[in-house]
Amino acid sequence: MKLDTIQIRSFRNIREAELSFSDRFNIIVGKNAQGKTNLLESIFLLGTMKSFRMGRNGDLITYGSTSSLIKGRGFRGSVSREIALSIMESGKKAFIDGKPVVRPSDFFGNLNMVVFSPEDIAMVRGLPEVRRRYLDRAVFSGDTGYLSIHHEYCRTLKNRNALLKLGERDGLDAWTERLADTGARLMVKRESFTDEICGLLGEFYRRIAGAGEEALIRYRSRADTPDRSVAALARSLRDTLEKRIPEELRRGTTLTGPHRDDLECLLNNRPLSHHASQGEQRSFVLALKMAEIEYLKRRWGNPPLLLLDDMTSELDRDRNGNFMRFLREKDMQVFITTTGLDNIHLSGIRNYSTFPVHDGRVFTEVAHV
Amino acid sequence: MIHFSQSLTRLIGELKKLPGVGERTALRLAFHILKSPRLGKDLAESLLEVHAGVRFCSVCFGITEEDPCCICSGERDETVICVVEEPQDLLAVERSGAFSGRYHVLHGALSPLSGVMPADLKIAELLRRLEGSSIREIVLATNFSVEGEATALYLGGLIKPLGIKVTRLARGMPIGGDLEYVDSATVQKALEGRNEL
Ligand SMILES: [Zn+2]
Repeated sequence: MKLDTIQIRSFRNIREAELSFSDRFNIIVGKNAQGKTNLLESIFLLGTMKSFRMGRNGDLITYGSTSSLIKGRGFRGSVSREIALSIMESGKKAFIDGKPVVRPSDFFGNLNMVVFSPEDIAMVRGLPEVRRRYLDRAVFSGDTGYLSIHHEYCRTLKNRNALLKLGERDGLDAWTERLADTGARLMVKRESFTDEICGLLGEFYRRIAGAGEEALIRYRSRADTPDRSVAALARSLRDTLEKRIPEELRRGTTLTGPHRDDLECLLNNRPLSHHASQGEQRSFVLALKMAEIEYLKRRWGNPPLLLLDDMTSELDRDRNGNFMRFLREKDMQVFITTTGLDNIHLSGIRNYSTFPVHDGRVFTEVAHV
Repeated sequence: MIHFSQSLTRLIGELKKLPGVGERTALRLAFHILKSPRLGKDLAESLLEVHAGVRFCSVCFGITEEDPCCICSGERDETVICVVEEPQDLLAVERSGAFSGRYHVLHGALSPLSGVMPADLKIAELLRRLEGSSIREIVLATNFSVEGEATALYLGGLIKPLGIKVTRLARGMPIGGDLEYVDSATVQKALEGRNEL
């Protein structure tokens, strides 16, 4: 589903906005700290109920208001659909066509989206947790059932860690077994996503960097069994966990499991973080994003919305042009924030709308033809 | 916030401690009680009565007015015990009509994160019930939450070595679901399809 209109009330510095979007390119332009990214964030919230920034619900609400409202409309097939999100300090409530959403699974999958922000570029050089966060978000956008497994794993992990911190052995076996079980289910989902996207990544990377270059990603865990089924991984994880229990009791935390795993990025079989130039790293992430988009398109039947946060400053002329060409070929709805229109390669793009943002107010400049 | 009289503030404060009641609901309830003196009196009396008259069964720890409770003293299958987290879960299984054995209420689930350890639950009491008894099967009907599943595993680890068959409700239930809120037909199916742990 594409997003035709959005209505925003009391969200961060945007007091009131009502916008109609182009079904192709939407360019949100403004100086820094005017509210560009806030607009992008409100769209992201409509798709995921989560922000791509850190913080509490209260931070999302305009100072002096008690709640925010974000309402989006679009068509799913031939049927119009309205998605609304009301944000209060105490939590968020979602509505579809005016009816409150009871099960999260009814909410997700309506508006699928991919974000591309400078944080993604930093991913290949950053700590493993940055890559795990990327992986979790990416797996979830193609498989909404991932959320409940992830949630279950985190909760089990917290309980097990609480027990380890107390130095308590009574009950530990039960939590170890639960952790191994949920952990294995989590790993299988991460691995199958990584496998599927790896082939696409290689293809897109060659398209950017030329033939003969081999880019790939690999899910890295400590469970090194050739059998990658849930049962085998759970067994392997449990063995490793049990072996390290004395050490875990000493350190008061769980030392093995998917919360410690990593996504390995390789270029011509060498780790990207140490051996690649900055340009190669950027091309890599760009190809990874294209792969993610293609994967989601195959998964859901139509391409996701793409949210590009201030990317033009990160990509040089060639990569920028390359990426825009890719987007033009896909029938995608794209939202781009930028400090200036000149930064974007609009050549050949005929259908776009511009939204200047100034001090929390959003204006509309009608689509150019 | 506006300051009401001290007694009204206290009532709001006490109501807010109830599960599922927030500031706004507490306020609404308090004003409702204030406006109907009769309701207030009846409610206050019943609150005092419930603690004086109702207690926990000394065998199964379900809610009862006489000890032992009517299930523990009644004509039931003595070879099977169904273990649940809370007294209201016992009622949910009972409502399904698919279980004819006896019960044991744990009064919670293991949750190191919230400081709930085995000693805080009625686990030792359950094990004492099993000693030298004719019990052949334990049905673990703890919730399908993270904590409920871990509790079931923990109990399985303690009970299986005693040579007693341990079964777990089938996963026909909504994931993370509390037994209390599941309809009778689903509980019935989960009981029929229970698996050996
Ligand atoms: Zn009883």
